[in-house]
Amino acid sequence: MQYSRSLLFTIAICSTIGAMGPASAQTADVLHYWTSGGESAGMKVFADAFKTRGGTWIDSAVGGYDDARASALSRIAGGNPPSALLDNIGDVQALAEQGVLSPLDPAAAAAATAHMPGFLMSKVSREGKVFAIPVDIGQANWTWYSTKAFHDIGAPPPATWDEFFVDAKKLKEKGYIPLAFGGQPWQQAGLFYNIMLSVGRDFYKKVLVDRDVTAAGGPEMVKTFETMRKLTAYVDPGSPGRKWNDAANLVITNKAAMQVMGDWAKGEFIAAGLTLGKDYDCALAPGTQDAFLMVVDLFDFPTVTAPEMVKGQKLLRDVLIDPAVQVAFSKVKGSLPSRLDVDVSGLDSCLQKGEKILADPQAQVPNFEFVFTADEEGQVKDLVSKFWSDPGMTAVDAARQFSQIVGETSK
Amino acid sequence: MRRHKTAEFVIVPTIAVVFICFYAPIIWTIFISFTRSGMFPSYSFSGLMQYWRLVGTERWHTAFLNMFVFGVLFVGFALILGFLLAVALDQRIRFEGFFRTVLLYPLSMSFIVTGLAWQWLLNPAMGLQHLVREAGWDNFLFDWIIRPDRAIYTIVLAAVWHSSGLVMAIILAGLRGVDRDIWRATQVEGIPRWRTYLSIILPLLRPVVLTCVVLLIINVVRSYDLVVAMTNGGPGNATDVPGKFVIDMAFERANIGQASAAAVIMLLTVIAAVMPYFYLETRRTGR
Repeated sequence: MQYSRSLLFTIAICSTIGAMGPASAQTADVLHYWTSGGESAGMKVFADAFKTRGGTWIDSAVGGYDDARASALSRIAGGNPPSALLDNIGDVQALAEQGVLSPLDPAAAAAATAHMPGFLMSKVSREGKVFAIPVDIGQANWTWYSTKAFHDIGAPPPATWDEFFVDAKKLKEKGYIPLAFGGQPWQQAGLFYNIMLSVGRDFYKKVLVDRDVTAAGGPEMVKTFETMRKLTAYVDPGSPGRKWNDAANLVITNKAAMQVMGDWAKGEFIAAGLTLGKDYDCALAPGTQDAFLMVVDLFDFPTVTAPEMVKGQKLLRDVLIDPAVQVAFSKVKGSLPSRLDVDVSGLDSCLQKGEKILADPQAQVPNFEFVFTADEEGQVKDLVSKFWSDPGMTAVDAARQFSQIVGETSK
Repeated sequence: MRRHKTAEFVIVPTIAVVFICFYAPIIWTIFISFTRSGMFPSYSFSGLMQYWRLVGTERWHTAFLNMFVFGVLFVGFALILGFLLAVALDQRIRFEGFFRTVLLYPLSMSFIVTGLAWQWLLNPAMGLQHLVREAGWDNFLFDWIIRPDRAIYTIVLAAVWHSSGLVMAIILAGLRGVDRDIWRATQVEGIPRWRTYLSIILPLLRPVVLTCVVLLIINVVRSYDLVVAMTNGGPGNATDVPGKFVIDMAFERANIGQASAAAVIMLLTVIAAVMPYFYLETRRTGR
């Protein structure tokens, strides 16, 4: 008796939920992985704007990018796609090629193309159609430093890696860890791309954008790996496997002098109650003052069929591309809006510094997600991570292997 | 006849489930390993391409070799330690129940928890090394977990810690089942105890030990969670294992073809390892 009653109850609940879906006219099922503080607050800005305009928001949050991605792919393959997917830029064209994404309507596409960085838009378009809406542009080439540490050695934060090596010896004498670092493959790769960019902006573009195999294995690449090798002497023994936010915490607690990390690191400093410009500050990563290393969050839109989902998808696109929504979102998320025509005067000094660089199209430099597939990027991570932890591997050998990865993929 | 029908009725769904849930995916995986499948499965045949690439991938070499290093050391040490513990507990000591619980306790923890705990213990900046140095031995060095050439041994250490209690419990049960008369006979003959354990009891416990070996080997082949929690395959990819390689390829790197090829090699390895055992067992029982 008890059993059948609870069964009836369950059926009643389920049918109520089932009936709720089709009843509303505009529904968006959004699959994303933004579950941490600043990120979920950012997602809430979109959700609230969507609801205000009369939509029903289904929040399909999956913790962690890899899990979210696995969930998205199996839902698409299983015929039950979400109506929007928080994705990496490298996936968009591959998904579009598979025919599982629905393109933006011409008006939205025109608005996006007109106001967002051209290189960015070219990477989310295919055969003249736009398949994704970027919602923010992060900058990956930042140095976050402890003002106390550099005050103690009487030097400004290093403008080049050569300066860093001079400073690092002094910092070590004063008891600081010169470079806060976590030895996880993605962090190692992040540092690697930053060093590559410091060797030369044009060299960086030649390798990653033009896929120049010769440059990818040439003397400049050898120099990149050599600099990286030198850096291994200036991290602490606790670094292998350390998370990036634990590394940031070393700078926060003045144990380490600086960390090279994207603008998302700022959230850790803010959460720790530190003041920008007083306790910590931002400088562009050594040798990358002329570049804006772009990291992009975007939504793409798997093809849906139910009428209310199709309508919901259109409404969601209008929301995501709205300048007012973008500014509100940027304030919470801590990165720049993807639209270049919005007012950023309310944002902090680091973001404004970044916005000035971003205005120069030559300075816009893509990160690996624009150019490498997940598979290729995985090979780069394997290589860089192996190089970092294996002192027996020479820079020349590493450069040769890197050019193989670049070459293999251009086939 | 009736009974026969019942038997069929019971067995057919089981066979169906086994086929749909086990063999069909295996066959599908083998098929996919011969294609260029990336993010989604594709069904255009591309020969041995995925296998050639796998053979040329240094990370796979490391992972594959690690499975054997880890397997031999883990099974060996867990067996020896488990057997010694069981023998020690078999000496009619006081508080046996207490010790048995304590020694079996690690098993109640998942590999994830085990891995995290050992990761913290072995971290040179805040674990054991740090503690001993704080206590005054400034030169104490135990940083294996961050050394690419030693890290795999720390995984063995954690796994042995986790599983030797299980071996102990199973062997202890076996020891308790040994006929008392054997002990009396060896006492009358004046055979030393260690000799009795080694030459008489151990051979008697052969099936029990085999059970332990099988249980431990299963842990070796499916080793994934312990590595992920403890080192996540690092430093570099020094502690990578085939299971982690396959998962990384399939999900993080959206390369189903490569993941399938690696999985097929894993399957072949297991078959190669298990076949001699099955052969011996079936021949011994004459079936």
